Amino acid sequence: MSAPGLTLSPPRSGLRWLSPEAAARIAAGLAIVAIWEFAVWMWAPAFVARPSRIVAVFPAVITDPGLWLAAGQTLGAVAQGLALAVVLGTTIGLAIGRVPAVDRFLQLYVSGLFAMPMVAILPLLTLFFGYTGDARLATVVFAAVFAIIINVSDGARAVPPEFVEVSRAFRGSGWSRLFDVVLPSSVPYLLAGLKLAAGRALIGAVVAEFYAAIPGLGFYILYNTRTFKHSEAFVAVALLAIVGVLFELLLSRGTRWLLPWYRRDEARD
Amino acid sequence: MLQDNSRPARYATYVLALTIGALIWQAVASRTNPAFLASFTATIGAIAGMVQSGALTRALASSTLVFVTGLGAAIVVGMGLGLLLARVRLLRIGLESYIMVLYATPMVALIPFIMSMMGFGFAPKALVVFLFAFFSILYNTVEGARSLKPEMLEVARSFRSGEWGIWRDVLVPHTLPYSMTGIRQGIGRGLVGLVAGEFFLSGTGIGLLIMQSERDFDVPGLYGSILVVTILGVLLMGIGRALENRFTAWQGLNR
Repeated sequence: MSAPGLTLSPPRSGLRWLSPEAAARIAAGLAIVAIWEFAVWMWAPAFVARPSRIVAVFPAVITDPGLWLAAGQTLGAVAQGLALAVVLGTTIGLAIGRVPAVDRFLQLYVSGLFAMPMVAILPLLTLFFGYTGDARLATVVFAAVFAIIINVSDGARAVPPEFVEVSRAFRGSGWSRLFDVVLPSSVPYLLAGLKLAAGRALIGAVVAEFYAAIPGLGFYILYNTRTFKHSEAFVAVALLAIVGVLFELLLSRGTRWLLPWYRRDEARD
Repeated sequence: MLQDNSRPARYATYVLALTIGALIWQAVASRTNPAFLASFTATIGAIAGMVQSGALTRALASSTLVFVTGLGAAIVVGMGLGLLLARVRLLRIGLESYIMVLYATPMVALIPFIMSMMGFGFAPKALVVFLFAFFSILYNTVEGARSLKPEMLEVARSFRSGEWGIWRDVLVPHTLPYSMTGIRQGIGRGLVGLVAGEFFLSGTGIGLLIMQSERDFDVPGLYGSILVVTILGVLLMGIGRALENRFTAWQGLNR
């Protein structure tokens, strides 16, 4: 923006709605697409996905009921697994945060399993659950639950002691202290943990589908790349990316909408 | 002991927790079908066997090479590009949202593409580790760049700081703590990428060790190799946290 009084030419009226920031974003996007298209056209074999071919196959893929069936299966498992992980993780997290003995005993195990790369558990889970959707659900729960436990226990530990004292002074019962004081003040931490858990859950579901050939988006990608339909498979990757971004936005904005009184949006990861 | 927060007391409780855990594991395993659950002693025995035969050492050496190559490239490129974006504002604004999208995309979904384009071997696996770690490092470095106040650059410039001085005294010190957070995240994600690459691309290293014991129905070996990966994860997480704390200490409690 030029300083007032230094304007040499009148502002271009046709582009006034376009801020320089938006212009930069659009230009960068176009440049990425152009480089991608050119690089693949120039150096890669014909089956490799590139923007023009993705656009060409897009209508056919998007109207293919197989894709939506796969998406439903994967996202259904992710949603179900996250719900389980929230219930399980909140319960364990509250216990760790409020009961020192539980904390001391479980601390090592929780942080150890959190640090473990979740892919490594796949052979064990397929041993327990077989090559079925249950193995995928178990992977999702395993991938998600520790992030929730760690964040909820942080939240339960961070409850201001005055709140607990007030509740005690008014002769509130232990349950009321848990449900009316500790749980509500841990919710922001739960949401922060959920944001982290959602990303891991999505990876867990895809990885389980790769490993055990369970029908879903991951398997759809695997199947199509193996038959050299990269552009078709890429539409499924884009779908996964959209879901990943939606989770990220929903949960980081969600904290602000649901809990305007709270200001902390960093998860422990 | 539970209220005591001194270092020896903490370690004592850790040892106690591990001992109780091992005892519970052993007790449960003795009442369960050994085809599903190997006992604690059998698992430790399997690890000792893998160490003795040299299989574990070889696997770890091969995995380390893949991991260090991928992570090293991700750190160099991620921090370099991140710092460049910190300096060139318009480029940063242009690319920011795309970086965020790629940061949130589950990179595992790209493994089948990498397999059919690059096949088997060392490079595709290192690329998977790179992809898993890269966007965490880049995203966090750019976040750091975004929080750099323009006044800081203005002050540096009004003291006639040259381009090199701006990088050395303002840009790098300011964004480094953020990059360290990214590197810590990248280490964790990269380890997932390592095992995923070894599972789905071509079996080598620690991933192969896990898959082989599954194929041979060697349940103690399966538990043993998974335990080794878990310990590896804990160690790497510890290194990541130590790095992060080392570089963010001066920021105090603001972060």
